[in-house]
Amino acid sequence: MTTLAMPRRWQLPGWGLCLLLALIGELTYFTITTRYFAANGVPGILVLAEQFAPTGVLALGMAMVILTGSIDLSAGATASLTAIVCGLGLEKGYNMWLCILAALLAGTLVGLANGLLVALAGIDSLLVTLATQFIVTSVLTSLAGAEPPFNFSVTFQGLGQGAIADVPDDVLVFLVLGVATILIVNYTTLGRSIVLVGFSQRAAQYTGVATRRTLASVFTMNGAFAGVAGVLLAAYYNSAQPDTGTILLLPAITIVVLGGVDIFGGRGRIGEVIIAGFLLGYLSQGMLIEGNSSLTITMVTGLVLIGALVLKISLERNFRQALAVRLQRLRTWHPSLSRPD
Amino acid sequence: MTMAKEAEPAVRTARNIRRGPDLARLASRREVLVAMAIVVVIAISTAVHSYFWSSANISFIFADSIVVALLALGESFVMLGRGIDLSVGAIMGMSAIIVGFRIQNHGMTLLPAIALGAAIGIALGLGNALLVGVTRLPPIIATLGTFSVYSGLEFVVTNGNQVDTIPNSITNLGVHTVMPGVPILLVATLPVIIIAAFVLRYTTFGRAIYAVGDDAEAAYRAGIPVQRILFSTYVIAGLAAGLAGVVFLIHTSGASSTTGNTDNLSAIAAALIGGTALTGGRGGAFGALAGSVFLSATLTALSYVHVSDIWQPAGVGVLVLLAVIYDSRGNAVRLPRPHRRSPKEGRPQ
Amino acid sequence: MTSAGRREDASARSGPAAAPTMRAGSTYGAIDVTKSFDDVTVLHEVSVQFQPGEVHSVVGENGAGKSTLLKLMAGVYHPDSGSLMLGGETLGPLSPRDAQRRGIYLVPQEPRLMPDLSVAENLYLGALARRRFGTVAWRVMNEATGGMISSVGLRVDPRTQAGRLSLAQQQLLECARALSRGCGIIFFDEPTSPLTAHDAEKLFGLMDQLRGQGLTLGFISHRLDEVQEISDRITVLRDGAVVAREERGTATRDELVQAMIGRKLSVTRRAEPGRAPATGVLMLDVADLRIPPQVNGMSVQVRAGEIVGLAGLVGSGRTEFAETLFGLRLPAGGTVKVAGRDVTGFSPRKCIDAGLAYLAEDRGRSGIFADVDIARNESSAILARLPRRLGVFIRPRREQELARDAAQRMDVRASSISSAIKTLSGGNQQKALLARWMLAKPRVAVLDEPTRGVDIGAKESIYQIIESMAGEGLAVLVISSEMEDLIRVCDRVYAVYEGRITGELGGSDITLEAIGHLVVSAS
Repeated sequence: MTTLAMPRRWQLPGWGLCLLLALIGELTYFTITTRYFAANGVPGILVLAEQFAPTGVLALGMAMVILTGSIDLSAGATASLTAIVCGLGLEKGYNMWLCILAALLAGTLVGLANGLLVALAGIDSLLVTLATQFIVTSVLTSLAGAEPPFNFSVTFQGLGQGAIADVPDDVLVFLVLGVATILIVNYTTLGRSIVLVGFSQRAAQYTGVATRRTLASVFTMNGAFAGVAGVLLAAYYNSAQPDTGTILLLPAITIVVLGGVDIFGGRGRIGEVIIAGFLLGYLSQGMLIEGNSSLTITMVTGLVLIGALVLKISLERNFRQALAVRLQRLRTWHPSLSRPD
Repeated sequence: MTMAKEAEPAVRTARNIRRGPDLARLASRREVLVAMAIVVVIAISTAVHSYFWSSANISFIFADSIVVALLALGESFVMLGRGIDLSVGAIMGMSAIIVGFRIQNHGMTLLPAIALGAAIGIALGLGNALLVGVTRLPPIIATLGTFSVYSGLEFVVTNGNQVDTIPNSITNLGVHTVMPGVPILLVATLPVIIIAAFVLRYTTFGRAIYAVGDDAEAAYRAGIPVQRILFSTYVIAGLAAGLAGVVFLIHTSGASSTTGNTDNLSAIAAALIGGTALTGGRGGAFGALAGSVFLSATLTALSYVHVSDIWQPAGVGVLVLLAVIYDSRGNAVRLPRPHRRSPKEGRPQ
Repeated sequence: MTSAGRREDASARSGPAAAPTMRAGSTYGAIDVTKSFDDVTVLHEVSVQFQPGEVHSVVGENGAGKSTLLKLMAGVYHPDSGSLMLGGETLGPLSPRDAQRRGIYLVPQEPRLMPDLSVAENLYLGALARRRFGTVAWRVMNEATGGMISSVGLRVDPRTQAGRLSLAQQQLLECARALSRGCGIIFFDEPTSPLTAHDAEKLFGLMDQLRGQGLTLGFISHRLDEVQEISDRITVLRDGAVVAREERGTATRDELVQAMIGRKLSVTRRAEPGRAPATGVLMLDVADLRIPPQVNGMSVQVRAGEIVGLAGLVGSGRTEFAETLFGLRLPAGGTVKVAGRDVTGFSPRKCIDAGLAYLAEDRGRSGIFADVDIARNESSAILARLPRRLGVFIRPRREQELARDAAQRMDVRASSISSAIKTLSGGNQQKALLARWMLAKPRVAVLDEPTRGVDIGAKESIYQIIESMAGEGLAVLVISSEMEDLIRVCDRVYAVYEGRITGELGGSDITLEAIGHLVVSAS
């Protein structure tokens, strides 16, 4: 009988450490170069996170989708939709919680539709969500009408602008959902299924993992997360503009990739995605304070996305080996390409 | 060389195989299918609204589809090689803005404008080509990244200004027709589509794209330079998008920093509807044109039955879903068959 | 344009499409080639000569090294030692492309064509016929293709998409590809196993014709009837070495079977003569299972504590049978009962919960999650049953301990339970997968090729694991094309041929010869 070592309880995540150092460096840089950045000390810096917390929430859902090896291009539009659903309800004077519930429900339904199309009809998630993104955009533009809802009750605004012990509410929501996502991915059957499907859908089927249910659930959850992001956006901006969530799709995907999640699925840590959320968020906040336009920031986001990928690929110990893995992945997409001798 | 002699009668047998125009084959081509769908859409719309079948309206439908057709054309090259380019809209925007400013502020004429647009397209396409073809990043992420870089650049270039005064000598191209219902723009664009179709069908380069999209590994083994082929498809997509930018100026006589931001998806939609598969190896240039005209006709028809413009994207989305579901019919089996052999091998009943 | 004009066109251009030059075959031989993968020697100093105008068959059991030998000669693998001689010239290191240039072509068992491209393009892939300005000469190519494919008996329009061809047609197209490249030496790697008898006949017709034209043909098959029908020369391999060379008519079928398997049994036999039949509860009861065309009515029973073998060749329908039991395919008819419960058509998940475990045949793609650690690989089949905190959250430490204990029971050798499973040797991967299925506490275990790609030492420990599983009261069904496996561990053996059970052996009747005869033909 052999003895097998148990792993160490805690392992230092290399990429996460890089991200954390970069975050610290970035905060230091902005504190030094920009007068306003740290003008109000730590609470002030925390308040800055209010603006990007919804993006972070969106990224959490997206991370789970990408972990399965899929993608969701409709998440941004879904967030816009839920912001508007919530806003319209508030404008009509319905109970705040009812409106939030309706918004979450709307997001979940869009996610469910995506999930069913991907899982049951077996259509590539890129195509499904490309189409639903279009459809959701029409629906939300139509709902928003000429004058999108704005100026909500103070209690609702408090959701986006209040704070508990110096931590703004929506940052708190982001962190709580972040912890929830970590728990889901690492400690539940669903999370384990997500990772296994991401590594090899075929092996997952042969092991009795409910692959279709997993895919459907992941897209549904992502819809719900987009719903939360939408509500936070409505509360933060005190209005629900049609593009409020749509423009967050790219930053959300950037955060996921920057957070080290493999676009082919399987590999990735939610904790690192959360750090990446802060890293990218403070980068854009810092640049805004320095007087850059939002489109310049979009451009930088794109550069960060590409840079992170290039860096990650070159960090992979052996480039050839990385290539071999890639080829192997390619083969698992084409069952006919390889077979044992 | 006894062998060659032996093979002789066989060649004669082959000539006996019935060839000629195969109607069934022609009718099953996606371009033809979409063309028929366009006719149906026009017929129904005309029945509802007789003005739909007017020279001005038909001409508008064609002119309106050209921008997306060019984008879809470039996108088709990429998709045929099993890639995807999410940045073509932004490349088109960059081209429209830079060329637009040259025309507006420096009185640039049409031909140099086209050359400039093409050059910008190629330059930006090279960016994608480097990332995907050389650095080997996954195309979806790489082009999503370049999309944001390019659309950010659009803003930097405009500096908040807009292009809004394009001389009539240029915009007339989008309005005037060579014959009732056929805008000059369409006639001017057709050669590009035909050249693309020719390249895809009749050059070894074009056929190599199909082979790479079908099975990159087997193509590599057959001596096809896979990376170089992939590289060129992204450059071509950039070139087509650059030209689309100039057409955009002609058609809409203006451009702003957000030009093209939503056209990526229309381009992919048109290519998909035209029969180009995301899984590579299937599709063609005329499909891109047919897909775009179909989109344009359908959306125009919707506006004729008083469906608000707001619902146009939804229309596109539904059409994409229908096209994709049509393509994948029969795929929704219980499980991907563990041993995929011939496509004929059906699902056990 | 007249047909004469077309012909002129054809001869004016370069490229194989324009003028298909067929080369007569030449003598091609391997001299003392040795090849090992990892530490397993697959071929040991094998010499073999293929002559023009002959069909030369290489036969042997699974794992005898036939396929490796042909792949080596076609440039897919490189020999560790020994050399390849083509018509008196010694060849250097060979790639598949070099081999084709020298006129050597391997028709793979499953043709690999570009499904969306036309038949003509597939034929001339990478060397399309061109006109003066480099444009593709479709008409010329289609003409030439028409001739080429009809010479191999394939009668389809050259413009047809290759994906629309039947498997048999695709194989003919592969042959045409070999001819179009002027290859005079063609190897067929088990071409008939996926074909129907009728299609196989057609292929033999073609081989016969090519032989008449002086080509050098190599052929691998398990089916001795067809080997004897077509071959001029037969080389028998056993355990990577040549054990017999026969010429047409010199050997009977029985002698060939004897040569293929006629060694001293290197394993001990589990089933003792005269041992009473198992009396345990009927755990696996499969009645008349059908998934045409692979499985045509198979009935199998396994009792608790019994180890039953399913002997069959690749392509005999045994894996399809197993995958259907496990809910990976939908049966067309028949029932599957596990411990008395009807599980026909259940999903894999439900099958596992009903007490069924299935060790997949293709370990690399359907078994392991290559990049995932051993612990999570083991627990993947029982996610819902892992120890939890608050009834919700998996306790990773407990999970790892569970996995470690299971792995240690199975004697998995690795540095840590958190090593990625791909870093283990084949045998250890297989043992880790066995640990996975034992964690699921099944009542019936179906093990498909449990010793494939496993070294000798690990084989023995896998045998022991299988025996201990039965000792714990499991019903075990072992599917294998390695007869020694079956003799070593089985109480009873079913033989499968073309999706039907062709015989059942028990006790001392389980011999290499008996199984060998049952699996190679319907008789």
